[in-house]
Amino acid sequence: MAEKTRSRRSRRPARSGPPLLEWIAAAIGLLLTLAVLGTLGWESVKGSHVEPPAIEAGIGAITPTPAGYVVEVELRNRSSATAAAVEVEGDLTKADGTVVTSTTTVDYVPGDSTRKAGLFFEDDPRRHRLDVRAVGFAEP
Amino acid sequence: MASQAANEHPNRKYAIGLARAFGGAIIFGLPNLMTMEMWFLGFYLDRPRMLLFLIVNFGILVGLSRFSGFEETASFKEDLLDALAAYGVGVIASAAVLSVCGILTPDMSTSEIVGKIAVQSVPTSFGAMIARKQMGGTEDQEEQDVAERRAGYAWQLFLMVAGALFLAFNLAPTEEMILIGFKMTPWHSIALVLVSIVILHAFVYGVGFAGQEQVPEGSGFWRLFVFYTIAGYGVALLVSVYVLWTFGRMEGADLGQIVSMTTVLAFPAAVGAAIARLVV
Repeated sequence: MAEKTRSRRSRRPARSGPPLLEWIAAAIGLLLTLAVLGTLGWESVKGSHVEPPAIEAGIGAITPTPAGYVVEVELRNRSSATAAAVEVEGDLTKADGTVVTSTTTVDYVPGDSTRKAGLFFEDDPRRHRLDVRAVGFAEP
Repeated sequence: MASQAANEHPNRKYAIGLARAFGGAIIFGLPNLMTMEMWFLGFYLDRPRMLLFLIVNFGILVGLSRFSGFEETASFKEDLLDALAAYGVGVIASAAVLSVCGILTPDMSTSEIVGKIAVQSVPTSFGAMIARKQMGGTEDQEEQDVAERRAGYAWQLFLMVAGALFLAFNLAPTEEMILIGFKMTPWHSIALVLVSIVILHAFVYGVGFAGQEQVPEGSGFWRLFVFYTIAGYGVALLVSVYVLWTFGRMEGADLGQIVSMTTVLAFPAAVGAAIARLVV
């Protein structure tokens, strides 16, 4: 191969340009690239990490099981900042004033997202007063 | 009809290239796709830094296309098309695997979904790009052309950056990087630096020559050592610092911790820099 052609195209005269499929694949790629960059760019501009996480805990379904009553807790992060190691506490106040507390920890509640957790109680929470709340979190 | 047949051939060839790209994306992406820390990074990683990293990644893809895209390239335009296609393959492969594993669900916020895919798209698009070399046969002409490009020193450095970035990115998200930093005494760190350099040099010397690298005439041990090994370790260190910064590992860490984390990450980065010429 003494002759060195600089252009690769000249070696393949049959090909006039990128095949159609290449354009399609690149177009889809461009679309996805712009979608990802656009979303991240918009979030960057929005400056989402200045506000602290704001987590609301809500009571979901209550299911009797052989291990006790399971209370589903829905954690909704109203901020766009992510909270890690979220401590969740449920206080069951009985008629005689005694309070039973169950706790759990959720690894992450991402910004503007919902995560579910569960608390166990021996007594039926539907017959007593139940309060659930997020007690604290760590920064990721 | 004749022209249609002629059109069909490059399309089919390209389709095979795409299929290989998906294979490469999955193979190179799986270790990350199935790592918990990577999913978490998807939602808490600092957005501007993530954006910057994706742009850097795209530049690397364009560069890699010069060396060994999944498709032979003739011009910068084709490199750009290749990079876009590889990134698209990376995004689709990441989204598919994460969905199948139940990591992505429709009730998640857009931010979380896009973030998780974006983090994974880095290794998967890298895999998609270099799939051709790994999974398909190369042609002589291509090999020659690639070898020509490889000869340039700037390209050598670029390849080292790409290799270092890939391996560092694979390891930096894990907690172990910080933990190892804590466990090591300064003496361990010094030993690790030396080990990294020795391994890098062994690859540069032993493997680099057996491959395509051309030894400049009359270059002695020191020249090779300084221009490839030490330069390569410098690349590994810089890439490690950049990746650690991207992942927010430096926040609140003092200089000693940063140096120790950097030397830990520079070890895989150096290996990545060293083997880049073999893999790519």
